[in-house]
Amino acid sequence: MTSVETTGRAVADGRGSAPARPAARRLLPGTGRIFIYQVLVIAGFFAIWEVAIRAGWIPVYIYGQPSGVVREFVKGITDGKLLIDTWVTTQESVIGFLIGSLFGSAAGLALWLSPTTAAVIRPIMVALNGLPKIALAPLIIVWFGIGIESKIAVAAIITFIVAMIASYAGSQEVDNDYVRMLKALGATRFQIFRMVIVPGSVPWIASAFRLNIGFAMIGAVVGEYISAEQGLGQHIYYAGTLYNLNGVWAGIFALMILALVLDWFVGRAERLLKWR
Amino acid sequence: MPHESATVLQAANVGMTFNPDTPEAVTAIADISFEVGRGEVVAIVGPSGCGKTTLFNIIAGLLKPTRGDIAVDGVPVHDATGHVGYMLQKDLLLPWRTVRDNVTIGLEVRGTPSREAAGIAQALIEAYGLKGFEDAYPSALSGGMRQRVAFMRTLAFSPEVILLDEPFSALDSQTRLILQSDVMRIIRERQCSVVLVTHDVGEAITMADRIVVITSRPGRVKSVHRVDIAPELRHPLKIRTLPRFNQLFETIWSELGIELAA
Repeated sequence: MTSVETTGRAVADGRGSAPARPAARRLLPGTGRIFIYQVLVIAGFFAIWEVAIRAGWIPVYIYGQPSGVVREFVKGITDGKLLIDTWVTTQESVIGFLIGSLFGSAAGLALWLSPTTAAVIRPIMVALNGLPKIALAPLIIVWFGIGIESKIAVAAIITFIVAMIASYAGSQEVDNDYVRMLKALGATRFQIFRMVIVPGSVPWIASAFRLNIGFAMIGAVVGEYISAEQGLGQHIYYAGTLYNLNGVWAGIFALMILALVLDWFVGRAERLLKWR
Repeated sequence: MPHESATVLQAANVGMTFNPDTPEAVTAIADISFEVGRGEVVAIVGPSGCGKTTLFNIIAGLLKPTRGDIAVDGVPVHDATGHVGYMLQKDLLLPWRTVRDNVTIGLEVRGTPSREAAGIAQALIEAYGLKGFEDAYPSALSGGMRQRVAFMRTLAFSPEVILLDEPFSALDSQTRLILQSDVMRIIRERQCSVVLVTHDVGEAITMADRIVVITSRPGRVKSVHRVDIAPELRHPLKIRTLPRFNQLFETIWSELGIELAA
């Protein structure tokens, strides 16, 4: 008994403090070096691009030009247009993401409670899973109009499908022995759902959220391509029709930055959710 | 002595046939009867494929037998209602719950107020050597500690009967001996009525008052042995030097051996 306790305690202590310090010491110089390489690679890419344009190796009207992109970017920020477009796309993506992911997860989990319903709609789920969900966008635009609501709807519907399928799959993957144990304890179906199925599906749901923030942005931007008055998708599409390649790039880089920021937030939330 | 007290669990002519009335019909258990008295430990020993898991599920109320009955305190078991607590080779600790919350899960299912449940859990955790780990998650515990928590979870809601199915077989031999003697001590202290399902004859003799030997599929009771060894002699290592231990061991082993050869 004593020996078990001591080894146990040693393990627990080891986790708490000892390995933390050397890991941190090793990690920092590594990331620092990698960061320098990353900056060099990106800067090098833009430098070669700029040089290639100025030397006349590739035509500016097809590829755009980094210095021109920077000009577009600065202009977009000073006149506020790019900021407004970014804000619109952010709202569409985030609201669509939240609605779709939350309701989708709830729907997927609820299917565990009703195996009959799950069996009935399984073919529909399989078909929806295989469908490039963005193909639904034109329909949704027709239903919801050209305002921000239709883009929210596109993002919400796509993320709903992804979250529902993932959370349903998660609920099916929960170890059946847990379910049997709770049954043997006399638990009701709803108790099993609450105590085992929901928490057991959380890792799946969290992964779906991570995917969904990307899908929400795709939904919002494609929705804007189809029909919109504002937003980064509209900005890119409009600049494209004018052959303003620098403007297109400015919109793309704004989207990339937005994607990084949103992904960072979801990543944080994901870490809070996941049990290890 | 335990065998003088009332019957807690009674299995009467239990039989189980899967897919009955079809060409794929398989009889896992032909006819098994035994009883467990209050505070008694009964081991069920059999070769693999003797329907141990099926019998286990029937006693736990997870499976309805096609013949016969299981009664707990004289009341026939029709459904899983928490009358039986079980512990398997797999600890089945919920990884998202702390040690304390894993121990209280049976009480939670029964709707015991959480304060009261936490108190019961705390007492068990302190009494049986996991003090300081109340708020730890299972992933931070060793295999032996996890099994200890699983055992506390079983004790916490005071089931009428405790069902142990190969509970130590996934542990290394040292941890296994420690846990075996601890579990045995606790079972005796608390006067638990226990069914121990195992293929380890030595473990059965060390822990049980009686041993029921089951034949291979379809399972039938082949013989019943009373382990007349005083509790104070039942140290997992010392017991192995007793002549009675070896005699029982050989008898049961040969009974199983015949079954294996057949």
